[in-house]
Amino acid sequence: MAKAWEVPGLRRRSSFAEAGGRVILTRWREMMSSREGTLLGEDIEELHAMRVSSRRLRAAMDAFAEAFPARSFRRHLREVKAVTDTLGGARDLDVAIERLQGLLPQMRPDERAGLEGLIERYRAERAAETASIDALFRRLDAERFGERFERYVRRHTGVAVEKLNPVAPPAAEG
Amino acid sequence: MAKPRPVAGIRPKKGLRPNARRVLAARIEEIYAYDGLIADPAHVTELHDMRIAFKRLRYLLEIFGVAFTEDLDPYLEQVKVLQDLLGDIHDCDVQVPMLEDHLEWLAAREAERAQELVAAGVRRRPSRSANGSERAYRRFRGELEGALRGDERVGIHALIARRRTERDQLYLRFLDEWRRLKRERFRPRLEAALGL
Repeated sequence: MAKAWEVPGLRRRSSFAEAGGRVILTRWREMMSSREGTLLGEDIEELHAMRVSSRRLRAAMDAFAEAFPARSFRRHLREVKAVTDTLGGARDLDVAIERLQGLLPQMRPDERAGLEGLIERYRAERAAETASIDALFRRLDAERFGERFERYVRRHTGVAVEKLNPVAPPAAEG
Repeated sequence: MAKPRPVAGIRPKKGLRPNARRVLAARIEEIYAYDGLIADPAHVTELHDMRIAFKRLRYLLEIFGVAFTEDLDPYLEQVKVLQDLLGDIHDCDVQVPMLEDHLEWLAAREAERAQELVAAGVRRRPSRSANGSERAYRRFRGELEGALRGDERVGIHALIARRRTERDQLYLRFLDEWRRLKRERFRPRLEAALGL
């Protein structure tokens, strides 16, 4: 699993709202850093990393929900949930295909045709998921969701993403 | 999926720790609310909701860990074990109906193909000789048998059986872990670590 980005400036003495701003904006940038790789679709781990980050972002939003006005917060949370759910559909198929392929050698020869047929079906469904992911990001771009989200978090927590400047941890050597 | 309950008394401008305590106390309570419900392995929804409650607590311990002096990692580890076991149970609960759905999908594809073959047979000009009719019938039967996907069902039934056995074993492991957690007084120890 991709390592979570460190949250810059998060301290024991931070206020609840400030901590919320720092954590949420870090997780937001962390999630969006996998966007290009996910859309490229060459490495299933990119999509996995983006999904994991989106779940971390949702968890952070749940944790700090009370720092925001309930109604407007729900609207933003809904969009983040749309990202998690859309990526989830593709990820579930990636995992299912990988698992079935791993199981194949353990199955009796007469049982393999069923697994191969199922893998074939999931592959076709997975191809359709890529189009859904692409459509979702196009919509979020058209609605300038990223800019609006960052401004919204700043307004209620006082944390600006430009000053926070969260960055990916250095890649592990090996 | 059970939504997290709103937490009363949060004061965003005040410190992280007192607010984090309130949120964590509410989420711990949510987990233990499932205690009586998960004794029945057929309570699929409750087991799934408890997994979500564990997941929320895990993420919160990670997020709010910085606010507390005591090391929360040992608690995190225990939460993760339970969350993973419930996650594996959930995978089985989701996969079995998906595999059953696949069996129906296979049957529907067979029916469609059979109908196509019959329609194509009707369109063909009938043979006038007995030999020609016999050949046409054999060809039709060969095509129909080729369209039947019965051989694929064997593997799907085997997978369903595997998942059901796994589910039974996972559930027993989960119950053991949950009972151990309670025996080892996980909740009071965690609450003490958080100053609740």
